[in-house]
Amino acid sequence: MAVMSGRLSSIVSQMDRLYEFDREPVSPDKLQSGGKFAGLFAGEHVAATEFVIGAFFVLHGVTAKDLFVGLLIGNLLAVLSWTFICAPIGIRTRLTLYWYLRRIAGPGLTIIYNLANAVLYCILAGAMIAVSATAVGLAFRIKTPALNAVFPSSVGWVLLTIVIGALFTTLAILGFEKLSRFAEVCSPWIFIVFIAGALAVLPRLGVTSNFRNFWEIATTRIWNGIPVAGQDKFSLWQVMFFAWFCNLAMHIGLSDLAIFRYAKRWTYGLYTAFGMYPGHMLAWVCSGIMVAAVGREMNPGLMAYESAGLAGVAGLLLAGWTTANPTLYRAGLALQTITPNWPRWKVTLAAGAITTVLSCFPIFFVKLLDYVAIYGLVLMPVGAIVFAEHWVFPRLKLEQYSAEKRGWAFNWSALGVWMGTLAVCFLMPIHLFFRWLPGYFIALISYIVLSLSRKR
Amino acid sequence: MDKKWLPALSLISLAVCLAAPIMRFLGKISSESYKLVFLAASIGWFVFATFWSRRK
Repeated sequence: MAVMSGRLSSIVSQMDRLYEFDREPVSPDKLQSGGKFAGLFAGEHVAATEFVIGAFFVLHGVTAKDLFVGLLIGNLLAVLSWTFICAPIGIRTRLTLYWYLRRIAGPGLTIIYNLANAVLYCILAGAMIAVSATAVGLAFRIKTPALNAVFPSSVGWVLLTIVIGALFTTLAILGFEKLSRFAEVCSPWIFIVFIAGALAVLPRLGVTSNFRNFWEIATTRIWNGIPVAGQDKFSLWQVMFFAWFCNLAMHIGLSDLAIFRYAKRWTYGLYTAFGMYPGHMLAWVCSGIMVAAVGREMNPGLMAYESAGLAGVAGLLLAGWTTANPTLYRAGLALQTITPNWPRWKVTLAAGAITTVLSCFPIFFVKLLDYVAIYGLVLMPVGAIVFAEHWVFPRLKLEQYSAEKRGWAFNWSALGVWMGTLAVCFLMPIHLFFRWLPGYFIALISYIVLSLSRKR
Repeated sequence: MDKKWLPALSLISLAVCLAAPIMRFLGKISSESYKLVFLAASIGWFVFATFWSRRK
């Protein structure tokens, strides 16, 4: 027991050193302008996965009306979640989720949260690598995995993902910061690739140059409401919920406290609209058009090549790489908590190796929508716990930050609520996309009830 | 190259990237020409914007 306790405190002190630079609340002179927030969000939400998500809505038989209405409302709900849930806590605490959660749940639970995050980041980066692999695979005639594939279907696919994964990892090791600056150059151009690709293939689908028959083509040849074989049909509700929870870990899950601690006002949450509507609406619409133009074949590489030529293929590769790069970095940072004294390169190499192995398995790419839902769902209860502690506890005169005040390594109530909520969500007899919402209220209420019973 | 031209050249490259698919959509250029112009303008964007971002 004493050995375990010593090991835990060693991990905790190592972890604290890693995040030391943002331990103190952001000072007023470090606050950023609204323009910076708009630019940050605009660049953050156009990734390689946008090529897949928009295309999947077509394959799942979404109708044009459901798509546009669902994306308008769903993205609005996401923007409001950032504005009313994440940003107000960010400007009041001026802390990252890491430090705020440490006060609430204790350093032990923060380690578990970090590890969960690391695994989820690796899977996400693996999906980015797989999407990029479809672009390179085109040149070598390597077949893109089928929509029901779980394991790698060919040696070629495995070799391809390993080579791309190794390349992305090497670049991340060589210089994360320089590459981040290059990613800023890529960002507006990648967005243009989506617009260009969709515009250029519209005539192939039969849209005339005066745009008059666009809606007719959209409803009959693009989002015609007929799912492809093996895919279940999505309605307005699935589209709306997907757009809402796509960044669940960031808004409701509160990991964007790291960004909003620099905001002058909580209304800065509204700037997320600059990321949502171009990235999670326009880019998804564009990729839907592109997949319809290639005969509804889920092959991002083919979609990019057919719609924008070699530049399209480069766009897909760069979109995958620029988003896998920071994801690998974050995964490495989270993994560093269990690898004390490892240098930065070694941790990034470990994260890259895990990611590369995962990218060989096409399930994370062909089931991307489900994975995005699970990713948000797993981290959502932590957001509910922090929300309850921040807003509800003072009103009910419950003690805040018990873990910090009493020196607990684990806030067992928080851990129990987190795991219990996930177990209940797992058993819910509703579509995966909808489970997080009742799950959020279950986590919120059960954490409050447990804390009230402890008080008595 | 005089650095004051870099922002203008970068933005012109990006504008050409956008103009090429519009011309294709309007049927003014062939698919091959569109892809070639788009590729050339994309290279232009990366060259000029990279130097521009370094000098900022």
